[in-house]
Amino acid sequence: MKLLTKYNRVNLITTIIVMLITGIIYYQAISWILISQKDRDLVVEENEIFDYVTLNHHLPQTFESNDQQITFTPATPGSIKREFINTEYFEKWDKGSHKKPCKGKGEYESGRGLISSVNADGKYYKILIIESKVETEDLIRIIFSITIGVILLLLLVLVVTNRLILNRLWQPFYNIMKELRLFNIADTKEIPHVDNNIDEFKELNNAVIDMAARAKNDYKDLKTFTENASHELLTPIAVINSKLDTLIQTENFNERQSKLLNDLYGAVSRLNRLNQSLLLLVKIENRLLHEKQQINLRELVEEMIIQFEEIFHDKELKLTYKLEDKEIYASRYLVEILLSNLISNAIRHNHAAGEIIINLTADSLIIQNTGNNEALPDEKIFTRFHKSSGSEGSGLGLTISRQICESFGFSLDYKFQPPFHTFTVRF
Amino acid sequence: MKILIIEDEEGLRESIEEYFTESGNICETASSYQSALAKVNLYRYDCILLDITLPDGNGIDILKSLKAHSHPDGVLIISAKNSLDDKLEGLNIGADDYLVKPFHLSELKARVSAIIRRKTYSGSNLLIFNEITIDLLAKDVKVDKTTVKFTRKEYALLLYFIANKGKVVSKNAIAEHLWGDGIDMANNFDFIYSHIKNIRKKLMEAGCKDYIQAAYGMGYKFTDQ
Repeated sequence: MKLLTKYNRVNLITTIIVMLITGIIYYQAISWILISQKDRDLVVEENEIFDYVTLNHHLPQTFESNDQQITFTPATPGSIKREFINTEYFEKWDKGSHKKPCKGKGEYESGRGLISSVNADGKYYKILIIESKVETEDLIRIIFSITIGVILLLLLVLVVTNRLILNRLWQPFYNIMKELRLFNIADTKEIPHVDNNIDEFKELNNAVIDMAARAKNDYKDLKTFTENASHELLTPIAVINSKLDTLIQTENFNERQSKLLNDLYGAVSRLNRLNQSLLLLVKIENRLLHEKQQINLRELVEEMIIQFEEIFHDKELKLTYKLEDKEIYASRYLVEILLSNLISNAIRHNHAAGEIIINLTADSLIIQNTGNNEALPDEKIFTRFHKSSGSEGSGLGLTISRQICESFGFSLDYKFQPPFHTFTVRF
Repeated sequence: MKILIIEDEEGLRESIEEYFTESGNICETASSYQSALAKVNLYRYDCILLDITLPDGNGIDILKSLKAHSHPDGVLIISAKNSLDDKLEGLNIGADDYLVKPFHLSELKARVSAIIRRKTYSGSNLLIFNEITIDLLAKDVKVDKTTVKFTRKEYALLLYFIANKGKVVSKNAIAEHLWGDGIDMANNFDFIYSHIKNIRKKLMEAGCKDYIQAAYGMGYKFTDQ
């Protein structure tokens, strides 16, 4: 759930609840005020009756006005308790009244009444004064609906402004998020300062920038370490190599010794290749090999094919290739490594009398080879030191190939399309 | 040939010295920047093997000093840094070649031979080994005036052997020389065998003696003894 949605939901619910409560209180208050005003009118009327009775010693004539009815009924003395009541007021319609056409004699409306008593001519009477409450209620209704209208309008305005303002307020946050998503630890690009004047976002921005800088620093240290370690290894490897070269000059080896020496040579050259691969990886990641130039890829692939000619021939591999002209702007050194990695993989993981197809078009280079008739684990093969069992490679070839592709903005993908393992470089 | 080996790593320096001395060269060594600079200023060499990273200085400065005095010595830079910038800088200043550690001694010998050949036989481009004459410019091989056709790799291999005559050259060294160390073919020694078979056959058909000997399954030796 978005923060905005959550916020709006909470905001809306509390606003509605608060508005409802205040609405009720408001309604009650207005009713109370208006009714007590009505009651005061009734008391004034009552007093008028008392004054009249005191002066004239008989009951006044009952009369009806538009919104007032007074009735006197004889009652048992002392049985009447003075009280205000909510009752009904029967409004008679005048003939020719502007109201509805006269069907009945009138209609009942809600009214407010006062029951009281008076002694006149020695008799005890119950007084009932009723006033119509219609106008009061109309008034309450109007006030109330205006209030509700205002509340609804307020809510609407609140929701809309929240949406607009909050979206804008959160913009720096989304900008920071975008930067974070683009963040690449191997990149030299720093996370920029996002311009805003909100303290929280400023803090977040600073924290993110700090974190990114720290991560990059650590990563750089790690890379430097790898590079230094690999460099330090070069000299001992060089010494072993040269000592071996010297050793085989000292004649007279028996078969067992020469087998041992051969194994040593093999291991040293593997160690060397591994070390070179590590150094190369670091260099690609550090973007240290970017002497880019215009390269005709078709010519380069053809050269590679000639390089590997004897090997194709010896393994009885059938090579088919279709090469179109394709110019790329890249480092020749790296592209040679890429091609040689991909082609030597296609040879190494092929079976005798297998097939290799190389296709170069304007937008892709596809190298297909037969081999084990099952798909390789798609993404795993590009991770460092992943090797198929029995492979004599360093386990870094495809990692390097992918890194090279990425450094030029190409992509390298693997697909198994039986019986072909297909590697595709897309430019 | 007189060769100066400037290398601070003792093991490597000794191996190089031994390898070159055995094939009849005079070798001198220097293990530090100062001693190297002293020697370079006093004596002349056919080729100087120059390690760039020395404990008390940068090998490039020795190269600069050589060039500043217009000394004609051939210079081969040996470096642990496989960086194109270093390589270009070295070659621009006037080094003749650049070899990255680790290397095979036979490769080093082949490169040094090539440098010395360029320096000493100026004008003549013929490399002669008994009855074999190689025109280096035309890439043409003759045995007693009969031209023998070699493929690109066979020709490269023959030159490699002649540069390392009398030495056992390991299969690894041959593989790296022919395919480069960038090409990671762990078991391509069979191809070496077929190349050598072809070279031997072509040479002998032209009336040449059999100079190539297999050495205990580890490598081959090109020798007239």
